[in-house]
Amino acid sequence: MSQLERELRELGEALAWPEPPDLAPRVLASVAATARPRRRQRLALAVALVLAAALAVLAVPPARTAVLDWLGIGGARISLVDELPPVRTVPGLEILGDPVTLDEARVRAGFPFANPPDGEPAPDEIRVAPGGRVSYLWREGTRLRLLVTQFPGSVDNPVIVKKLVTPRTRAEELDVDGNPAVWLVGGPHAVLFVSPEGDVREQEGWLAGNTLLVDREGVTIRVEGALTRNAAVTLVRTIDG
Amino acid sequence: MGSRPLDEGTLVVRAKRGDSAAYEELVRMYQGIAFRVAFVAAGDTRDAEEAVQDGFVKAYRALGRFRAGAPFRPWLLRIVANEARNRRRSAGRRAALALQVAVAASGDAAPSPEAAAAEHERRATLLAGLAGLDDRDREVLVHRFLLELGEEETAAALGIRRGTVKSRTARALERLRAVVGEDAR
Repeated sequence: MSQLERELRELGEALAWPEPPDLAPRVLASVAATARPRRRQRLALAVALVLAAALAVLAVPPARTAVLDWLGIGGARISLVDELPPVRTVPGLEILGDPVTLDEARVRAGFPFANPPDGEPAPDEIRVAPGGRVSYLWREGTRLRLLVTQFPGSVDNPVIVKKLVTPRTRAEELDVDGNPAVWLVGGPHAVLFVSPEGDVREQEGWLAGNTLLVDREGVTIRVEGALTRNAAVTLVRTIDG
Repeated sequence: MGSRPLDEGTLVVRAKRGDSAAYEELVRMYQGIAFRVAFVAAGDTRDAEEAVQDGFVKAYRALGRFRAGAPFRPWLLRIVANEARNRRRSAGRRAALALQVAVAASGDAAPSPEAAAAEHERRATLLAGLAGLDDRDREVLVHRFLLELGEEETAAALGIRRGTVKSRTARALERLRAVVGEDAR
């Protein structure tokens, strides 16, 4: 340890830190007032997955992309379907909105979104779509290497709809620092946006690979790229929020 | 890190089963460090208290999803630091170091009033040097040394990677050294 490090440690001890009251009684009162939710959501998903698998076996192909069940995470609705809708294989960038600067994005987005992640270079592009979706894009040549999108929204009022066919694509529920999250992994799933009027636009979606969705303080963060689950979680953690 | 009490894991397992006495024990164990982390992030006593309280409640509700055997403290500090930062932002405060050197009558290190005064002055210089660093450099030094957190916990509290903590610490120490010099004592 250098002399300066030692001095800083001593400084820490010599500081006039404010003394907090004992917070245990308040914490316990809050905890008692609202019992911890059991694993209801996880169970529901497990049932849905089993159901989807069962139905896939029985599949008589009636209506296209019949919705078998769904799971909500923040402003994203994940629907289990029997067939993916016909969408493009890569996102058309216009779906992500107009290219803007970070300051313009702050003005136009209309919700408090987080800055670009810490561990990545500055994004190659920032785009804002009507209805309040902010996307950071990183390219590699002409390809999109990484896409981070943030949007507000609730389960009842989704901004984005993901359709996937099980068991080709799996949805794993995670916890990222106390925030609910879902990791979509395996085969591709269809990403569709909901217009401000509430319509799902099937023509404007694309097929996405592995994706992490985290619902953090009412803002949903979506990360898509060639990432492992751990790398995606780490990336979300470096998004200052 | 040897400072972590041995029974943290047991308490977490019990709390996961709904044993609120075990959780109370965890709150008492970590509220001190949680408060300092929150205070550094929020820059305000009241916001820090609320952040710690809400952070503990949030962590309790999320315990069902907490991986058994994983260290609880960094996870908790991450949640609390996030709560505190959000409060600072919604209050519209800038990140700053809201701390002063205590006017302490430290006996052992300072044999004479002159030495005590020199020591106090040196500490004030260090604090001013820290305050003058940019936010990222200051934060990492405050967490690593003033709060004596390990690299993993610093990474958790600041929401950055462990490798970033390492490199940023080295760089920030150099920058601070350029401002305050090494002590000539």
